[in-house]
Amino acid sequence: MQSFFAILKDSYREAVDGFVIYVMLGLSSVVILVVASMSFTPAEPAVAMEAIVQRFAVIFPDKGRSRVISASFENRYSASAVKPEGDGYRLRLSVTANSSRGDDPDNPQAGDSFRRTVAAWLKQPGRTVKMSDLAGKQQPTGPGGGGPPPPEIEFSFNHEATIEEQRAVTDAQMEEFLRNQFAVHAGLTASVQRRQANEPQYEFDVTTTGGSAVRGWPHTMKMFFGAVTVSEDVNLGTVLWIIEDQIINGVGGAVALLIGLIITAFFIPNMLRKGSIDLLLCKPIGRVQLLIYKYIGGLTFVFLITSFTVGGIWLAIALRSGHWDPRFLAVIPLLTFTFGIVYAVSTLIAVFTRSPIAAMIVSIGFMLFLYIVGQVKTIFDRLRLEERGDNMPQWAFTLVEILNNWLPRYKDLDKLTSKLIADGTLTEAERRTFGLASIEYPSWESTILVTLAFIAVMLALSCMRMVRRDY
Amino acid sequence: MSIIETRNLTKTYGRIEALKGVSLRVEKGQIYGLLGQNGAGKTTLIKILLGLVRRTDGEATLLGEPAGTVRVRRRVGYLPEDHQFPYYHTAYSLMDFYGSLYGVPAPVRRRRIPETLELVGIAGRMHSKIKTYSKGMKQRLGIAQALMHDPELIILDEPTDGVDPMGRKEIRELMATLKKSGHTIFLNSHLLGEVEMICDRVAILQRGQLVREGTIAELTQQKGLYVVRLAEGQSFPIEAVAQQGYTVRPLSEPPGAVEIAMHDGQTIDPVIRLLVERGLSLRHLVEQKQTLEDVFMKTVEEAEPGVDRQRRRGAARPVGGGN
Ligand SMILES: Nc1ncnc2c1ncn2[C@@H]1O[C@H](COP(=O)(O)OP(=O)(O)OP(=O)(O)O)[C@@H](O)[C@H]1O
Ligand SMILES: [Mg+2]
Repeated sequence: MQSFFAILKDSYREAVDGFVIYVMLGLSSVVILVVASMSFTPAEPAVAMEAIVQRFAVIFPDKGRSRVISASFENRYSASAVKPEGDGYRLRLSVTANSSRGDDPDNPQAGDSFRRTVAAWLKQPGRTVKMSDLAGKQQPTGPGGGGPPPPEIEFSFNHEATIEEQRAVTDAQMEEFLRNQFAVHAGLTASVQRRQANEPQYEFDVTTTGGSAVRGWPHTMKMFFGAVTVSEDVNLGTVLWIIEDQIINGVGGAVALLIGLIITAFFIPNMLRKGSIDLLLCKPIGRVQLLIYKYIGGLTFVFLITSFTVGGIWLAIALRSGHWDPRFLAVIPLLTFTFGIVYAVSTLIAVFTRSPIAAMIVSIGFMLFLYIVGQVKTIFDRLRLEERGDNMPQWAFTLVEILNNWLPRYKDLDKLTSKLIADGTLTEAERRTFGLASIEYPSWESTILVTLAFIAVMLALSCMRMVRRDY
Repeated sequence: MSIIETRNLTKTYGRIEALKGVSLRVEKGQIYGLLGQNGAGKTTLIKILLGLVRRTDGEATLLGEPAGTVRVRRRVGYLPEDHQFPYYHTAYSLMDFYGSLYGVPAPVRRRRIPETLELVGIAGRMHSKIKTYSKGMKQRLGIAQALMHDPELIILDEPTDGVDPMGRKEIRELMATLKKSGHTIFLNSHLLGEVEMICDRVAILQRGQLVREGTIAELTQQKGLYVVRLAEGQSFPIEAVAQQGYTVRPLSEPPGAVEIAMHDGQTIDPVIRLLVERGLSLRHLVEQKQTLEDVFMKTVEEAEPGVDRQRRRGAARPVGGGN
């Protein structure tokens, strides 16, 4: 154990000797500072509730279980008489429905748009349309812009429901629908009670819990310590998702991996240099131990950098917004683990060639290769899902399958991390509209096991070479 | 128990035979010098002892245990040749790092590090980065790091390489002190004058083979070579002495002196008697000793009589092997 810590400390010294690390820490500090300069003020309850109920136009059929998104703009929702009650609010929700589409406008038994919406929400979606077909083949992009395009979102237009179905909608079902809408669009737990009103006007008494500390609560967001107002109506969770997933996990993660690889590529070749290695091998420590400790030293380096950056940003966010959800912190071990894949390759090349440049080029190339395999796999999966892969040769699918099965799951780790962050920040409605809910997620177990196995093989080969060699 | 023992140690690197069956034995408390030309296999021998290089054949033990194991390395200090210290360390932090690899507890390290660096004379700069050190300072640090865990056996590959004359003297004194306190030292060196001053025993390695081995006295002792000079104005009776069966050779320095070589069973006494009988007065009579350098040169020449003499005469320090 003593020699383990001695080697970690030595790796640390080596890492902090160069200037690159300081540039990196400086950049991280700037990002942390920028995040810390943001302020989030929750909107007034009356304003917030009004904003939240406007989102109810978007519905998810099959009681929220369907992959399909559907929208109905015929109902006007409005919140009034918002008063604090308990740890939440009490309010009146009015829905003004449109009955003009009914077969017989004068017939009180005819349907209206609210009843039709609830009936459609209760059922499987009807005819659906792909978003790309709607928008002239344009790909929808998430608010962050970057990253791979989300899988195509399906829309349902005609939420068809017969007059009988509409009439069959009970008060309890309307209440359930609205409760679900509050949960999906704002993360609010609400109890809903229908009041007497003349259809197509509907009135509900709503009591919420959790105050304004819910994901979908609109906030005023300012930056640079209040100097710039970015938005007056933005969900806290959305902003946090953009920062955590798109900026830090996406761009920041790639930068951290790249710079980490460049700095650590020197560790093992330097140790193995003629004249240096003798000084270590004559010490009472085995060669395998020496190499593994050195490998862990490299990981520790990246772990510390990500801990500093991610931890700092997490803390800044938590202090400034009150969002203490720990899921973002999982980026620290996951990014370190991802780095472990490429650093194992770097180690192997270093042991065989003793050249930092070779280690750097091969490991960065490998990282790119894994990224490309991941992308191609995602595209192929979609082609197959949509049965559009007929013009592709079968061997291409087989090749990608084999590569994906046998190579470390670089892309999958990334997907899983993004999911974790989205689960911790976005409302369900946002996750679905950003296309995050319809991605097929790999399992944690297989992703981690395959990756660990790959790392083990790389290290075993490195150790074999190290042990056999005359220095 | 011997501190170092090798039996028929053999090492081949591909087609290069670096060691061809070397057997030697170093006893406790000795300072043992291993000499040999460049590429003779000295460093290879040491690396096998420490487990840096795997032997092809033969056996080696250190301190009664198989050579090269992790356990035995704990009891050995080693200064490699051409060492490169990690540039990001200071002398202190490097010693601290190595000390913890040797399992020296932290409080002991805090005490031993300045002490040891003081011994080799660089304690004053121990908190500067090694990249700012001169060659000799690095060499001194190399010796210090081999001593800090107080090992029973100290192996030094060219310890005084790059060290100034004062420093070399200090290092010799340091070795003498270590010897007194019961340490065993095994060293490689090309500085024969120093080896002669400090070593108890010496072995000469030639192209992977041990060609001479013994104490300094045994190796440098030479029976029957005298330098004789008579009083001013008298001339040496070269003819008469030669007639008695001696080989006489006039020397140019000092003027008038001659060198007389004995042959089997002869002594110098008959020559002295002859000089006295002739009424000549003796001013100088010294039995000529050879230096270790003479022994080395002669051994190396003898060991490879067939070698290209043309080339060897031209080079002050012949290079052998495939370096
Ligand atoms: N790693 C290696 N691979 C191949 N050959 C080697 C290796 N190390 C040493 N040799 C060869 O083994 C022979 C002995 O080398 P060694 O370093 O033991 O010589 P040495 O006596 O220490 O010489 P020097 O006085 O120059 O230090 C040389 O011919 C050398 O070329
Ligand atoms: Mg050598």
